[in-house]
Amino acid sequence: MQAIEVENLKKYYGKIRAVDGISLSIGQGEVFALLGPNGAGKTTTIEIIEGLRLPDSGIVNVLGLDVIRQPRQVKSRIGIQLQNTALFQRLTVAEVLELFRTFYPGQTRNSRELIDLVDLGEKKDTQSRELSGGQRQRLSVALALVNYPEIVFLDEPTTGLDPQARRSLWDTIRQIQKSGASVLLTTHYMEEAQELCDRVAIIDSGTVIAMDTPGNLIQQNFNETIIEFNTAGSRPLDGIFHGLAGLTRPEMVKDHHVTLYTANTVATLGSLMNLSERGEIHFDTLNVRVATLEDVFLKLTGKTIRD
Amino acid sequence: MKTIIQLYLANLKEYRRERMEIFWTLAFPILFMLLFGIIFSGNGNTTFDVGIANQDQGSAGAGLIQAFQGVSVFKVTTGNESTLMSSLKKGDLTVLLVIPPNMTASIAADKASNVAVYYDPTNQTTPQVVLPIVSQVVQGFNQGLTHQPALVVVTPKTVTAANLREIDFLLPGILAMSLMQLGLFATANVLVQLRQQQVLRRLGATPLPRSMLLISQVLFRLTIGLLQAAAIILVGVWFFNVHILGNPIILVGIVLFGSLMFIALGYLISGLARTQESSAAITNLINFPMMILSGIFFPLTLMPNWIRPLVDAMPLTYLADLLRRVMINSTPVFPLTTDVGVLAGWLVVCSLLALRFFRWE
Ligand SMILES: Nc1ncnc2c1ncn2[C@@H]1O[C@H](COP(=O)(O)OP(=O)(O)OP(=O)(O)O)[C@@H](O)[C@H]1O
Ligand SMILES: [Mg+2]
Repeated sequence: MQAIEVENLKKYYGKIRAVDGISLSIGQGEVFALLGPNGAGKTTTIEIIEGLRLPDSGIVNVLGLDVIRQPRQVKSRIGIQLQNTALFQRLTVAEVLELFRTFYPGQTRNSRELIDLVDLGEKKDTQSRELSGGQRQRLSVALALVNYPEIVFLDEPTTGLDPQARRSLWDTIRQIQKSGASVLLTTHYMEEAQELCDRVAIIDSGTVIAMDTPGNLIQQNFNETIIEFNTAGSRPLDGIFHGLAGLTRPEMVKDHHVTLYTANTVATLGSLMNLSERGEIHFDTLNVRVATLEDVFLKLTGKTIRD
Repeated sequence: MKTIIQLYLANLKEYRRERMEIFWTLAFPILFMLLFGIIFSGNGNTTFDVGIANQDQGSAGAGLIQAFQGVSVFKVTTGNESTLMSSLKKGDLTVLLVIPPNMTASIAADKASNVAVYYDPTNQTTPQVVLPIVSQVVQGFNQGLTHQPALVVVTPKTVTAANLREIDFLLPGILAMSLMQLGLFATANVLVQLRQQQVLRRLGATPLPRSMLLISQVLFRLTIGLLQAAAIILVGVWFFNVHILGNPIILVGIVLFGSLMFIALGYLISGLARTQESSAAITNLINFPMMILSGIFFPLTLMPNWIRPLVDAMPLTYLADLLRRVMINSTPVFPLTTDVGVLAGWLVVCSLLALRFFRWE
């Protein structure tokens, strides 16, 4: 049995096709990410799977249960972190966690363990309205872990976290996975998805445009090397890279930032140097690297992630 | 059950930690009570000045005057009509009775005669206290005329009522008002806020049955209603010497009943209002006319006729009447069944509509 099985899910808000025929299948113990630009339909999809919103059409099976017909059975076995965190403003961290424990019929983690999981030890007696954004976010993640969930849903769990807190949340996610639970998350950090996830789905305008392991996605989309640099000066760059040696596809130019894709790094670099010597272009910084998930994302969605 | 109690305690904990909420629900009604108490309990006298202009030459007129002089809380002044009328207008008299000429003769001929009673309707106590006593006295006098074995007797109930001051009337009214505001401001506005902050949504993401959440919230608000009642009554008793009569258990019952009705109204408003701003607008729109028109600060008799249908439809009118009836034993404006019936009607209608329109997000 798959942990999550979604078939041809649709949800329209008036003319907006928030979710337009998404199908997913997520295995037990798998860490799976939904990636996509703002408004792609990630939150809508994840909340339909959680049973918080009703789809217009489609099938949603979670842990073998029909979410639409048995929302409470599903909710008692999953853990949910919402994108907009909402808590009892005047209760302390420990009190909120203890309160949430009473909502679940089965076994629950005690609040000390939860507080340790998300590193909130110092703040356990602080009222939630006095927490910083990142601390509130961590509390919200802790709330998703109260009931030893079999699936954990995390909607942008690391947004607003400092680098250290982010890495510590990654550890938490790996721990969850080790315990046998599945994780469905969304993120705007591609390196995070690449680091954590077994598989990812890239969503745009409510449809899945690619779904595979991060490694496969990179390989399928780029067998080339990427050369990036900033140009100094205000000369127009139109057509300047045309016919440059080794290029495999048109360059991407944004302001003064240029990205080139090459099958022959040495040849391309050589002709770039020629351009520079002839004074047709001035480099600022130059960077040669292999492709990442972010490049796949940019290529497939045609936009930067935080446009 | 355990979950309901935990949620209820969580609500109380949050309440205790929020100074503003404590201020609006407890300190504000107390301040209100203190302020009005100081304004209205000024002289503290419990006698009423009654003017009688006797135009009758016979024994009946004199007998009626005697009957009024026998009422301990009445201080009777006699004189001619125009002089007394001007004292009434100056406020030196509470009521003016005009005994018509030839009353003795009319009575002898078994014909009815009209004793006119003039009073200032802006004075809250007159219609509720003085007029009933006046009619009691006249009634007693009538019975004397028809030779039934009745002297001029004022029943104990009326003697109690005779001790009522403005502040005694205000206290149940202010209590009714704060229960209404509990439903409007501390229920409707707060729920809309919880919805906007998505707290309700987060709870909807757990297996917690929504009915449990609802029950715990209502229980919490009923508790606040009782706290408000206790605070207002204690202020009345300690500072202004208000005597609370009536059965305390019935009083608690009515406080709960009234709170529940207004809490249901609050839930209904929270279901209809999309934003905090619109809910604030709706609650203020309801709060203001109810405060002014429900006979809490101004007597119902003062309301112009065209506005009476509105006054008669407002639940606060009946809750105030009911509380006055129970707390200070005043002469009620409406029959008991009307008070309870109208409130129960509001409760049922609001609850059904609230369930119909309630939204979690
Ligand atoms: N309740 C709603 N009513 C109307 N439109 C909605 C609603 N919820 C979402 N939408 C629309 O559906 C689309 C998808 O929204 P969704 O929140 O799923 O995007 P997302 O991928 O989570 O974006 P983000 O990365 O910004 O979180 C958006 O265009 C949004 O405006
Ligand atoms: Mg989202």
